[in-house]
Amino acid sequence: MNDFRKEFTTFSVALIAVAIAINIGAGQIPRSVGLPLYLDSIGTVLVGVLVGPWAGALTGFLANTVWTVTGLFPQAIAWAGVAAIIGALAGAFGKAGWMKDWWRAGLAGLITGVVAAILSAPIAAYVFGGVTGNAGTDAIVAAWRAAGLDALFSNVAQGTMSDPLDKLVTYLIVWAVLMALPQRLKARFSGESVPAQKRSTPKKK
Amino acid sequence: MRGSTLFVPGQTVIHHLHPVTKLVITFLCLVLAGTLPSLPWLLTCFVVLLLPLAAIGRILRPFLLRSFAVIAPFVISLSVIQGFFTPGQTPLFHLGSFIFTFEGWLAGLTVAARILLALGGALLLMLSTRPDRLMLALTERGMPGSLAYVVLTAIQIFPRFQERAQVIQEAQQARGLEIHVNIFRRLGLLVPLMGPLVLSSIMDTEERAMALEARAFSRPGRKTSLLLLEDSVWQRIARWTIMVAALGLIVLSFWLKFAR
Repeated sequence: MNDFRKEFTTFSVALIAVAIAINIGAGQIPRSVGLPLYLDSIGTVLVGVLVGPWAGALTGFLANTVWTVTGLFPQAIAWAGVAAIIGALAGAFGKAGWMKDWWRAGLAGLITGVVAAILSAPIAAYVFGGVTGNAGTDAIVAAWRAAGLDALFSNVAQGTMSDPLDKLVTYLIVWAVLMALPQRLKARFSGESVPAQKRSTPKKK
Repeated sequence: MRGSTLFVPGQTVIHHLHPVTKLVITFLCLVLAGTLPSLPWLLTCFVVLLLPLAAIGRILRPFLLRSFAVIAPFVISLSVIQGFFTPGQTPLFHLGSFIFTFEGWLAGLTVAARILLALGGALLLMLSTRPDRLMLALTERGMPGSLAYVVLTAIQIFPRFQERAQVIQEAQQARGLEIHVNIFRRLGLLVPLMGPLVLSSIMDTEERAMALEARAFSRPGRKTSLLLLEDSVWQRIARWTIMVAALGLIVLSFWLKFAR
């Protein structure tokens, strides 16, 4: 619980709000340059790595809530749990020091992608009858069904085709951003001298 | 409130309902969508319960348009996938060795109707409720204020981030960045496009945090709000009745499924 408290400073709360907007803003870039990627969890991974697993999980969960509330992708809330796990995983990889070099960051992305694909599939299969309401991915699911897989495994197969690559690119972008981040800002997250934090946890033991 | 949401302003009874009352109706729709047994039941519920409420709230047009925009791709995908891949007795037509069955089609439409009913409940809430009022109502019931801040801020600032992404892309193109290249070179484009967007946003955060601190954001204790939420006895009774009915439905459907 102490870890949980420590992650939610005024600065990190402000960062979470910005990160959700980054998710939505960055998510339109691949579409406008014509790349078949989502890249809609950059903010979530960033918060996970910079602040910690709790904050990452919260960012993912709220990001999908906001997708729903704004009507951009109303069914997003069904996957809010998966988004939360993506954020928590980012926090774990950050704590383990995997974001220090690019190849381990990439590996973390691949692992996250596989986990996301496996966790998302049952939601598509059992809540939405085996589809996601997106023409492109649903066509791939149909192809797997035609190849003889059942509803659950068709969705797992579709997910493992797109999610690991998507999260690999996401993690590499986050790694590059971390490299470029000014030292002054990075110091805010190192956990030692954060003025805002003292005030937000008055009941410190 | 600025920002891009589904909310349609209005002065109707539906708009003036307490946000939690509407949230409870949304919950009821979700439960109905999950427990009702067949297509006619689901569609009847949508027509008898949701459409009149949307009509009273004078949001029938956006309600139907939004519902249709979301449900149409589901109807198509589900019809194709369930129609071809669910075994049944009544073949309608076939495509190569794949047979499109009536039973499969019906199963697909039933799932689509479930999604429609759940979606309709959520749309009714979001079209008729200002997000800040909903958040205030949840904060009054114990949700941390910082959660309300995050959701409301994200809703307000994301259109500016979309604009910013567009501006960065145009600026880089003006400097000679070529967008129409082969797919592998396009991956390289992500660096000059994502980098400035994400970095500048993180820089913004510091300013936001200072502005928040200057307004005693992290001060513990109760805060007062400029907004006032109206509530009434009959709404409280209605909320409890609906909650009990919804929970009853869940119990009943489990009993029908497993006890027999």
